[in-house]
Amino acid sequence: MADNRFRFLESKFEDAEVSRPSLTYWQDAWRRLKKHKPAMFGVVVIAIIVFFGVFGPMLSKYSYSDQNNDFKNLPPRLEIFTVADGINLHLSEDYNMFLVSDKGEILKRLDQNKKKKDVVNKLYYYVIDDATGEEVILDFSYNLLKDKQGYDYDFTIEHKGVVFKYPTGKVFNKTNIFGTDDLGRDILTRVMYGARISLLVAVIATVVNLLIGVVYGSVSGYEGGKVDEAMMRVVDIINSIPLMLYVILLMVWIPKSDGLGNIIIALSSVYWVSMARLVRGQMLSLKEQEFVLAARVIGVPKIKIIFRHLIPNAMGPIIVSMTMMIPTAVFTEAFLSFVGLGVSAPQASWGTLANNALPGLITYPYQLFFPALAIAITMLAFNFLGDGLRDALDPRLRKG
Amino acid sequence: MGSISYYVRRVVSSLLTIVLIATVTFLMMHSIPGGPFSREKAVPAEILKSLNEKYNLDAPLHEQYVDYMYRLFIKFDFGPSFSIIGTSVNQLIDSGKDASLKIGLYASIVIILLGIPLGIISALKQNKPIDYAVMFMATLGVTIPSFVVATLIIYFFAGKLGWIPTFGLEDPRGYIGPVVALAGYSLSFVSRLTRSSMLEVLRQDYIRTARANGISEFKVIAKHAVKNALIPVVTYIGPMIAALLTGSFVVEKIFAIPGMGRYFVVSVGNRDYTTIMGMTILYSAFYIVTILLVDIAYGFIDPRIRLGKE
Repeated sequence: MADNRFRFLESKFEDAEVSRPSLTYWQDAWRRLKKHKPAMFGVVVIAIIVFFGVFGPMLSKYSYSDQNNDFKNLPPRLEIFTVADGINLHLSEDYNMFLVSDKGEILKRLDQNKKKKDVVNKLYYYVIDDATGEEVILDFSYNLLKDKQGYDYDFTIEHKGVVFKYPTGKVFNKTNIFGTDDLGRDILTRVMYGARISLLVAVIATVVNLLIGVVYGSVSGYEGGKVDEAMMRVVDIINSIPLMLYVILLMVWIPKSDGLGNIIIALSSVYWVSMARLVRGQMLSLKEQEFVLAARVIGVPKIKIIFRHLIPNAMGPIIVSMTMMIPTAVFTEAFLSFVGLGVSAPQASWGTLANNALPGLITYPYQLFFPALAIAITMLAFNFLGDGLRDALDPRLRKG
Repeated sequence: MGSISYYVRRVVSSLLTIVLIATVTFLMMHSIPGGPFSREKAVPAEILKSLNEKYNLDAPLHEQYVDYMYRLFIKFDFGPSFSIIGTSVNQLIDSGKDASLKIGLYASIVIILLGIPLGIISALKQNKPIDYAVMFMATLGVTIPSFVVATLIIYFFAGKLGWIPTFGLEDPRGYIGPVVALAGYSLSFVSRLTRSSMLEVLRQDYIRTARANGISEFKVIAKHAVKNALIPVVTYIGPMIAALLTGSFVVEKIFAIPGMGRYFVVSVGNRDYTTIMGMTILYSAFYIVTILLVDIAYGFIDPRIRLGKE
């Protein structure tokens, strides 16, 4: 047959098979995680919280322990009486009078003119300007004197003969954006500092739990038999105890240092149990696989098999469980601080901040609101991330 | 009869666990340097001596241990409180147990009666507004700590609106705050668990078969789906009840409820060792016994569990 009877087909496809670059386990997991919107939201939020926890206290002009008794218990939103152009007054819940700028910066606390003070009629005089002697009168006689009863306001402010019965406006506190606490410390700075302490405790406790749990679980699972039986009995016993009680007991038992170390020791000595169980389960199934047999046949030592071959293969579930452990640790730390077993003053975690805010809750709710919000957001972010990681890393739960 | 030996083993191991916990707690509390009477203000040596004699603290440790264990397990006597003079730990427990148990019990009831139906409904209406609403609430519930929920309740419902009292249980409405705060987390968890377990079951072949056989939708859900979906939920609820009955001390502290938990928190605060010891052992024993009872009950409900452990 002559060659010209053959002709080349025009190729329609580059390849017969559509192929894509093969992905490693971690690349694949990352690809899945990126698609999980709540998880990415969690990652971003955690990054923001970590950023503020690390750099926030440095950037802030206040220190977490700076006390300023003149500026205590100031809310984030100030009710002001604009008595004249540029003269805005704020009467705090502690009955201190403040001069506030139009923008909301707190200029100074006004001094009382003690000489003019009229205790019988409840009239108090505050000096606005020392040089001119300009004064404002705070009249507290309402609801106290019979002829003034029945009003819906408790006090009036009188400036140059003009009486103000109601606040004339509200302005955001620019000096302390989240307000100040009962010792005049800036709450924003303390919440950022609290993030540092809370996350530090949580991360260290989680890493220690991880190490103990992984070593304990892998030895138990790999050895099997009598060793496994004995080790799991210990785990069963620890597991049947209400752990919170034992964390509290440990906190009482450990010699008092600054509280931070105590809390980390207490948290990391009991919560490794769930990690140990998880790792043991993974080991039991992994050790039956051929690559382990192969490694054993060529004489790889036991420790190397566990750490080189088995644990890396169990890393997915371990990471998922670790992500879930961090919020639990934040939670537990907050809980302990709330019972009064937390870090000692002036250090503060979110839990201690919430605990400190409790006595003044009705009057100064914002002091509880911000640390509580911080805890809730952190919990939410880690939970979202954990859910996403579980979908991405846990092959058993993969669909399709 | 293999199952009887299983029950015997469970009971014995639970008892041993309680003894072990009592021992560890005893040793921990007795190894704290300084002893229970070291205060900031130094106590005169003679008073200290007579105090130690009175509470038998100068005896060798093993004698104290035998004595403590004997009184604990034979007479159920936790000894005197070290900081509330003239009061025994038993009296503290007695005066607080009603309030604590009631709050725990009510919270458990609320969780079971609300959490399970909410989970079932949101599974049946998957990806509908009601599902999103329930799951949103459930997510909030697991992310907000109970002490924050409790303080928010006090702030809004007791402080601002005045619907419920801020503290105490004299008014029956006083139960609302503590029960809601205590139930919040587990309620959210139970409804999430019920939902996911229900979704799993609804995908099973036997549900399709049941539908194909023309069984009414209500019967398919109630008889075939819910019954199987509840197995993991029941497994969670057992330890949960134990935890709720014993773990309400933060809520008790916030709402100033005269329960056992408040005494526990106070005793931790002023290092009242006998009370800490007694409360820890009691709470743990209670927890273990509850879980044991739940386990035994499962054996009757679901024979697979009993056989699985054989």
